[in-house]
Amino acid sequence: MNTASPKMLQCSDMTVLERQNACLKWQQEQLQQQQQQEQQSYFSELSGVFSSQVQGFQGGLVSGDSVLGDMVMTRQVKPDPGLETAWHEMEKVDMAAMGFGPCGYSNGPDFDMNYAISRTSSCPTFVAAAVAAQAVEVKGKESIVSEKMGSTVGRGSFKKRKVDTLQNSKVVAEDDSKRIKACAEEGESKITGPNTNKSSSSNNKNKKETSTGTSKENSKVSDVQKPDYIHVRARRGQATDSHSLAERVRREKISERMKYLQDLVPGCNKITGKAGMLDEIINYVQSLQRQVEFLSMKLAAVNPRPDFNIDNLFAKDVFPSCATNFPAVGMSSEMANNPPYVQFNPVEQVVSSCGLEMGINSLDMALRRTISAPVSIPYASFLDSSCFTQIQPSATWDVELQNLYNVAFDQEGSMPFPSQPFTGTLLEKQNWGPELI
Amino acid sequence: MNPQHLNASSLKSRFTRRFLRALTKINAQKPISSSSPREIFQRYGRIKAAADKSMANSVRSRRTWSRAMLWKLRSRSYRQASSGRRSAVKTSTTTSHQAIRKKTNHEKENKPTKTGEDQVGFVVQADELRELVPGGEAMDLCNLLDETAHYIKCLTTQVQVMKKIVDFYSL
Repeated sequence: MNTASPKMLQCSDMTVLERQNACLKWQQEQLQQQQQQEQQSYFSELSGVFSSQVQGFQGGLVSGDSVLGDMVMTRQVKPDPGLETAWHEMEKVDMAAMGFGPCGYSNGPDFDMNYAISRTSSCPTFVAAAVAAQAVEVKGKESIVSEKMGSTVGRGSFKKRKVDTLQNSKVVAEDDSKRIKACAEEGESKITGPNTNKSSSSNNKNKKETSTGTSKENSKVSDVQKPDYIHVRARRGQATDSHSLAERVRREKISERMKYLQDLVPGCNKITGKAGMLDEIINYVQSLQRQVEFLSMKLAAVNPRPDFNIDNLFAKDVFPSCATNFPAVGMSSEMANNPPYVQFNPVEQVVSSCGLEMGINSLDMALRRTISAPVSIPYASFLDSSCFTQIQPSATWDVELQNLYNVAFDQEGSMPFPSQPFTGTLLEKQNWGPELI
Repeated sequence: MNPQHLNASSLKSRFTRRFLRALTKINAQKPISSSSPREIFQRYGRIKAAADKSMANSVRSRRTWSRAMLWKLRSRSYRQASSGRRSAVKTSTTTSHQAIRKKTNHEKENKPTKTGEDQVGFVVQADELRELVPGGEAMDLCNLLDETAHYIKCLTTQVQVMKKIVDFYSL
C-alpha cells in the first residue's frame, strides 16, 4: 500500500479528492489491520462508538436499513481474511489512480466511498474526483461520525460507500452527474453487496446541500439529524416506489450474507447462484449435525476411565497451548505413587507439546517402546487422559487396559464391541430405537 | 515450551468446559464398562443433548438459534420429567414456538414489505434451512442466513472439540 504513495505524489493533476482517496486507503490499511481483531470486541467498540456519538445514528441503527446497522452487520459478518487479501489486491490496483492527499481531511466514509468508487474499475478517476469534490462539501457534521464509521467499518461497507459516493457525485457535480450516474449504475450493477446502506450519513449531507434536483439518484440515507427516518432514492432508470427500493436493500443484504456463508462453507466457491448455494449450505449443516450425532454416539460407546480430571486436562489440551502446570502436577502425583514410571517422561513431553494429535502419536510410540512392561504400558496409555489425577490400583486397570491395548492400539482407538452397535446404528440412522431394543 | 495464551472466554473454551463437565456427570451416573446397546443409546441421547445444551449456553441468548435450542432442550427435559402428562408436552411446545416468535419479532427491526419477489426462487431451500437451524421457523430469509452462519460456526467448533475428546477417550 505504501508503495503507491510516491506514485500518488507524482501525479500532477491530483485533486483534493484524489488525495482524500489516498488517505482513505491509508485508513483502509489500518482498518484491515484492525480487522484482524476479534469480531466481538470490534462490535462492542463499534456499538460503543456509535452510541456515544449520535443519537440519530442509533435511530438509524434500530431500523434495519440504516447504514450503521448494515455497517455493524458487515463488521459482524465479514471477518474473513480471504476477503481481505482480495481487497488488498484491489487496493493496489486502485492505488495508481489515487492521489495522495492531506490526511487531515478526515472524512472517513467519504474516503471510503471514494475508494470504493475507484475500486470498481468501471468508474474512471474523474468520477472519483467528482465524488471527492462533492465529498469535500459533505463534511462538517458528519466528519466525526463518518470517521468513526470509516475506521470501524469493514470492507463490506466500502461497497456500500461506493454507492454513496457515486450518488454523492451525482448530486454535486451536475455536469458530471449524469456521467457519474452512468458509471455508478454500471458499478452498482456489478456490485452485489449492500451498497445503499452506507450512503446514509454522507448522503444526508449531500441531500441537504445539493438539494434534491435529481430524484432519480438512489441513495439510502439514514438522517443523522432526524432519527428514525430513512430516505431512499431510486436509482436512475429503475422503479422509484418504496417497495422496490426496500426490496433492493433486502436483496443486497441477503446477497452479502450469502457471500459470507460462501466463505464459511467449504467448497462453495465454484457455485454461483443462490439456489445452489443454499443447497450446499443445507448439506453442510446437515453433515455437521450428523457429525455431532456420530461423535456423541462414539463418546457414549467409548469407555472412559474413571476419575478423569477432565476439566484440567482439556482446558489445556484441547487447545494448542498446554499449560506449564500440567506436567508438573502430574509429575508430582505420579512420581509419588509410581516411581518406576518409564513412560512418564515421554508422556509428559507429549502432553506438553502442542496439539492432541502429536500427543497421541508420541504416546503411541512411547507405549510401543515399553511394551515389555505390561503394567506400565496400560497405565501409560491412560496417562494422557487420566494422568494427573489419583492413581488407580494397577490391578483393576490391567484387565481393562490390556483389553484396550490388545484391541485398540490403532490411532482410531475405537473398541470393536462398541463399534458394532455403533456402525449398525449408523447405517440406519433414522431407526435408533427399534434397532437397539 | 511456551504456552500460548488461550482466549479463556472464546466460544471454544466455553463450550469445552461446559461439555466436559456435563460429560463427566453423565459418565458418573452409570458404570460404563458393561453397557448394553440400549444403555449406550440412552447415554448417546444424553450426551448429544449435553453437547447441544453446552453449545447453546456458550452462546447464551445472543442468538435466536441458541435461544430456540435451549427452549427445546428445556421443554424436552420437562417432558421427560413429567412423562405421563400429555398436556405438559403440548403446552411446552406451543409456548416454545410462541416464545421464539416473540423473541424474533422483538429483535426484528424492519419487516420487509414484500417478500415474494426476493424469495420466489428460494422458498423451498429456505424452508429446508429453517428446519435445520433451530428456531428458524419464525425468521425471514435475511436473519435466517445470519443465524445459519453463526450456527455453522458453532457447529464446526462443536465437532472439533468432540473429535478431540473422542480421541482422548479412546487412547
